[in-house]
Amino acid sequence: MTKTRIGSIFFLIFSSFYFYQSFTITLLPGSHFETMTARTFPYYLGIIGIVISGLMLIFTYIRVDDEDIIDLKNFKTFDFKKGAYFIVAMLFYAFTIRTLGFIIATIIFLIIGFNILEEKRWKVILLTSFGVSVVFWFLLTQILGVYIEQGVVFDYLLGDRL
Amino acid sequence: MEGIYEGLTTALSSYNIMMVIIGCFAGTFIGMLPGLGPISAIALMIPITYGMEPSSGLILIAGVYYGAIFGGSTSSILINAPGVAGTVATTFDGYPLAKKGYAGKALAIAAYASFTGGTIAAIFLLFAAPALAKVSLSFQSSDYFALMVLGLTAVAAFAGKGKFLKAAIMTIFGLMLATVGTDADSGVSRYTFGSLDLIDGISFLLLAMAAFALSEALMNVIENKKMSKEEKEILNKDIGNLKVTKEEFKEMAPVVGRSSVLGFFVGVLPGAGATIASFLAYGMERNLASAKEKLKFGKGSIKGLAAPESANNAASSGSFVPLLTLGIPGSGTTAIILGALISYGIQPGPTMYIEQPALFWSVIISMYVGNIVLLILNLPLIPYIAKLLAMPKQILTPLIIFFSLIGVYLVTFNTFDIYMMVIFAIVAVFLRLIDYPMAPMILGFILGGMMEDNLRRALTISDGSLNFLWERPITATILAITIVMLLSPLISQLFSAKIKKEKLT
Repeated sequence: MTKTRIGSIFFLIFSSFYFYQSFTITLLPGSHFETMTARTFPYYLGIIGIVISGLMLIFTYIRVDDEDIIDLKNFKTFDFKKGAYFIVAMLFYAFTIRTLGFIIATIIFLIIGFNILEEKRWKVILLTSFGVSVVFWFLLTQILGVYIEQGVVFDYLLGDRL
Repeated sequence: MEGIYEGLTTALSSYNIMMVIIGCFAGTFIGMLPGLGPISAIALMIPITYGMEPSSGLILIAGVYYGAIFGGSTSSILINAPGVAGTVATTFDGYPLAKKGYAGKALAIAAYASFTGGTIAAIFLLFAAPALAKVSLSFQSSDYFALMVLGLTAVAAFAGKGKFLKAAIMTIFGLMLATVGTDADSGVSRYTFGSLDLIDGISFLLLAMAAFALSEALMNVIENKKMSKEEKEILNKDIGNLKVTKEEFKEMAPVVGRSSVLGFFVGVLPGAGATIASFLAYGMERNLASAKEKLKFGKGSIKGLAAPESANNAASSGSFVPLLTLGIPGSGTTAIILGALISYGIQPGPTMYIEQPALFWSVIISMYVGNIVLLILNLPLIPYIAKLLAMPKQILTPLIIFFSLIGVYLVTFNTFDIYMMVIFAIVAVFLRLIDYPMAPMILGFILGGMMEDNLRRALTISDGSLNFLWERPITATILAITIVMLLSPLISQLFSAKIKKEKLT
């Protein structure tokens, strides 16, 4: 399997789906009098996408460049696990930023992040995560005047201050 | 003339000079981090500019842009890790110089070459931009449509050997993503799948941050590259004297002059830009060099370092020409800047030159101020800034991820945006792993709306017929160039196959 082939299959599926979905775009009454409707551009984009990715797929069967072949040795050195942990951490951050509030959610996110990358010095971890979130919060709310919610948990415990 | 004066006073106000300085420093710092290029640097700074005057915001961004290129050169020279494709050619002779213990000299040469490249390009820009803006006043929607097709094709055509179709499909991918949301003309929602969060479409900042800053940071995590002993040694060593001798200046001068002019014109071309300019300049100088000097190339030649450095800087200024005068970006970086401009409520193009001359000129002037700042402030501080390269990655990466997420979240305060960013970042990492370029996608995304708009107008004027494609000479010429460009990879491949055959027989 070459890199180009994987990509071309991905884009062929994506373009086909995109093309198919273009028919679900609602047309306004009287739109058949118009030269270009909301559907026209996506319709042609879908076709071009299918043509290009199809061509790419065909070409991969005609000629293969050595560079294009996936180097499994190289892939094995990649640390996909850490990448996945980060994705979970980001989703967790999105989930907590409104419930726990900016400061606490950010501190937790950064502590998790430093730990994923195996930072061992707890003094550095705590100082950086607390420092960055508090300074950033102060900058935003006190200097730039941006309103940031205190977090649903605090609303519940302390009452809504607004 | 009045516009230039107004621009000068805007650019030289103390607040804006401060913005250039902050931009240059922030840009140098971000650009220096391996893996993070100017697009990420600009994307990370955009949320900060939202609260500013458009001119100050743009000035800050111009500073970040230059700073990031300078930072890229620094990491190329010191640790052989170009943050950007535009500084890859810098590593050829910059890193060998650093290994020999002349890191300081190499950095100084890079800075002087960049500065001169920037200066020559700024002078060219001063004349080229207004001239082109005046010409482009006569452009109609069909011409704009053709120009956008040309721009997008050029990005694919210049993508490099064997990458044409990859870049082309990425451009189409970007155009497709641009159609998500409410259709500006009919008000009909497209590809929103009933979600209210998608009604306004995908924000350009979100896409840029996910496809560049976030995915580059994630790639850093996945690749898990550790600095080699040799690189660490160079970083820990004193970078040496920053002085460049008179003889060396004399040796550099003609190289820098030639490379700057070449760089500027390559930069103006849509799709080309800093990377191609730097490689072309390097190649040109090697060809021009005497047999004895040729041997030095790749082993620490001063000419080999000065050429790409002046060319990439000149090309970066050159790439502002189509952006400011036609409103059409020719590269991923200028596409991001266009996105920022649009979100400030400014539509660049010939009308900007006429209606907001102060803004137009202040950007051009502050780009030059940025060059000066880099030379007189960043260069002397480079021994200290370089120490930041030794900052542990395990601390920096989570911080970059945090800044990308929060930068987008703070604009809308909608957590849906963070979820969407994560999805885009996953797709971007996947595409990076299989070598699909990201810049064409962002270019397609930014141009998508405008392209559809201009096509609609052109079609309406020509009453639905495709005649508009060849009726106006300007449109026809631009499209003819596009076709030549589309066919060029094919033709060059045929030629090389023929030459190979002839050699074999």
